[in-house]
Amino acid sequence: MSDLATLEHDGAVARLTLNRPDARNAFSIEMLHDLHARLDEFGDGGDAKVVVITGAGKSFAAGMDLKQVVVDESGPELPGQLLASLGRFNLRLRRLPQVTVARVNGAAIGGGCGLACACDIAVSHADAKLGYPEVDLGICPAVVAPILVRKIGAGPARKVLLMGGIMSGEEAYRIGIVDELAPNAGELDALTEDLVGRLAAGGPRALAATKALVNELDGSLDEALVEKAAALSASVLVLDEAQAALKARLK
Amino acid sequence: MIRVEDEGPVRIITLDRAEKRNALTPPMLSRLADAAEDLGSTDSRAVLVRGEGKVFCAGFDLDECRGDTSGEVMRAFMNELSRAIAAMRSAPMPVVLCAHGAAVAGGCALLGGADVVVADPAAKLGYPVVRLGISPAVSAPFLRLGAGDGSCRVRMLDPGLIDGARAAEIGLVHELAEDASSRAREIAASLAAKPRDAVRATKRLLNEISPTITSAQLGLTTSLSLTSGDEAHELLERFWQRKAAT
Repeated sequence: MSDLATLEHDGAVARLTLNRPDARNAFSIEMLHDLHARLDEFGDGGDAKVVVITGAGKSFAAGMDLKQVVVDESGPELPGQLLASLGRFNLRLRRLPQVTVARVNGAAIGGGCGLACACDIAVSHADAKLGYPEVDLGICPAVVAPILVRKIGAGPARKVLLMGGIMSGEEAYRIGIVDELAPNAGELDALTEDLVGRLAAGGPRALAATKALVNELDGSLDEALVEKAAALSASVLVLDEAQAALKARLK
Repeated sequence: MIRVEDEGPVRIITLDRAEKRNALTPPMLSRLADAAEDLGSTDSRAVLVRGEGKVFCAGFDLDECRGDTSGEVMRAFMNELSRAIAAMRSAPMPVVLCAHGAAVAGGCALLGGADVVVADPAAKLGYPVVRLGISPAVSAPFLRLGAGDGSCRVRMLDPGLIDGARAAEIGLVHELAEDASSRAREIAASLAAKPRDAVRATKRLLNEISPTITSAQLGLTTSLSLTSGDEAHELLERFWQRKAAT
């Protein structure tokens, strides 16, 4: 079993960890495969009420694995597959009956920030770095856009996605990407476990029914939109502009 | 337990059960919903919804559900709560709500019916009901209009309480004042002094832009679906055991 993602499940709480710390947990097709596999194994989660998602090492998730989206190296198909896989993974998290908590331990960039927002609740610390620098690299952040719009509203999302760049945990908390903020990385665990304890005390049916309702109200389960967004992002990603920027970044 | 008075052009609806922190009973919610539905046929220019005593509202009085194995009382709570929120929102004139001290669970749900919510920075707000096997879904369609979908999701799922200052940051509260009661009265009076037709037309338009009737039904259905299951019975039973032990 490949272990680029690990799942520990003990009673009411399951913990899913992105486990590619040497690559700052960037989304490669292999890691996404493992993430999906862990969810397959998890099934309906049995007695779990909460799933905590975090990154091994210092980063939460540093976005897409850039080597796999440079067409000269990966071929023309891989970027689209990677984006579609990420979009489907986010959708699967929304479909889980459990409450999902993103424990944003460090950098959450691009698709990584998207993953944080795809979780029901995101906790982080003031010094974490979050953001959507896609446009700076000639990339269209289409996969993450609908999730961000739902999370912080259409007005603020417009600014965040069009301006690109990176923000601090503090700023992310202020605009609503992060829901609970620890003053520093050292205090993140206490904050997370407090929240997890509160959630795990909930009735599982009540939690699942409430989550299903908010999914319906905010259109989270729009599968066609996820596919369309992945295709759009892939179509921009293979253009010369993006490819040149990505190659320059990799050097 | 619901008092309705007019102060000039302002209709004041008061939860009047201070000795129980204005905890709601089904008949009380029913009176509140009736009072809110009556707003359509008055000339009042603004409405103030407030609570007597130290806090706005502590939520449902769960003693009312004791021994109710059929879930009938909980369904009455949910139905009347939903009707009260929808009637406040449908009122032709603006509704100001003063969430001083605390607005918890069903009490916090009432905020969804108001156009302007005032609280003090230390007020306690939130929906700590999933641990009782109850879904706060009934207020989600209204909460999301004020707080947005992201914060709505978090507040619906996390049973923790937040203070007034944080509630203002996420849009659940619109104005903070140490003396929330006086400030809420001031705001109601200032709204009442504005041109009547323009204010009413604006509220009507805003209600049309953000339709809640269909989604309100979805929220209510979700909350009702849990009232007859074992989970709510078990968790409520444990709640009373804890209460008896303390």
